[in-house]
Amino acid sequence: MIQHFVHITPEFAFVDGKALNHNEKGAALLTELYRAHIGDYPKFFKMDTLSKLGFVASELLLQAEGELRFEPREDRAVVLFNRSASLQADTNFQATIQDPENFFPSPAAFVYTLANIVTGEIAIRNKYYGETSFIVLERQQPQVMAQQALAAFLDPMTESLISGWLDCEDENHFEAAIFLLKKGQYDNAETVSKEITKIFNIKY
Amino acid sequence: MNFKSLNHTTMEELIYRLKQEIIEALNLEDMKPEDIDENAPLFGEGLGLDSIDALELIVLMEKNYGIKLQDPSKGKEIFKSVTVMAEYIQKNRTK
Repeated sequence: MIQHFVHITPEFAFVDGKALNHNEKGAALLTELYRAHIGDYPKFFKMDTLSKLGFVASELLLQAEGELRFEPREDRAVVLFNRSASLQADTNFQATIQDPENFFPSPAAFVYTLANIVTGEIAIRNKYYGETSFIVLERQQPQVMAQQALAAFLDPMTESLISGWLDCEDENHFEAAIFLLKKGQYDNAETVSKEITKIFNIKY
Repeated sequence: MNFKSLNHTTMEELIYRLKQEIIEALNLEDMKPEDIDENAPLFGEGLGLDSIDALELIVLMEKNYGIKLQDPSKGKEIFKSVTVMAEYIQKNRTK
């Protein structure tokens, strides 16, 4: 069984299957979780919603893991997946260049117009120097995700992995279902795929 | 706003407005204009802004005050503090 996993939607937040208390919904829920469980990282407020979601979800996941943090390490990779790429950031940036009479491209919006920025945010925060990648799929495909996860372990440096689904359409439609995987925990993609499917299918 | 009314904005008013605009443009959550020391450095130890923030400040000056900074390296001088920025705006604004 995958030991640590986090599930966040606009409606709820669960860590290892246990609900976190909250009052807010949507993007405000992410800010509430940040204030209640993280804090002291003002860059959070500059992030787009996808990065906020990934940041909060990974922080909760790593808190649940309970290992020493913020020490530089090369043995942990970050491999995430979604469907909407960086759609919300793209839309926000487009809004700054839509009107020729009011054409002021925002650098702060532009820097988030790639889905893999969130993997960088997580790596920077945690001083991870291992592999990071972000793969866009048509839908949640546990088999593909499992294959990619095991492929990441082919790198001899990689001993563990933050992986999972991290999708954001807009401030009211998003989902994080991420987990920690250790090298050698499972030996084939089919088993990993089943474990991922279990996490996706938990009824809260 | 015509040229005459531009001159009627006092430096104090401009500094206050600029602080509000900086807070909004740079997403300085939980900060109020009163929290920003207008004479403290904007970068480095001051508000802890980064290079993307510097670019946003250049956009802010163009959008709100019609000042097009031809040489971005000039920003280093202009963004020394809110006061220095306000003085530059007062002198060069076109709107």
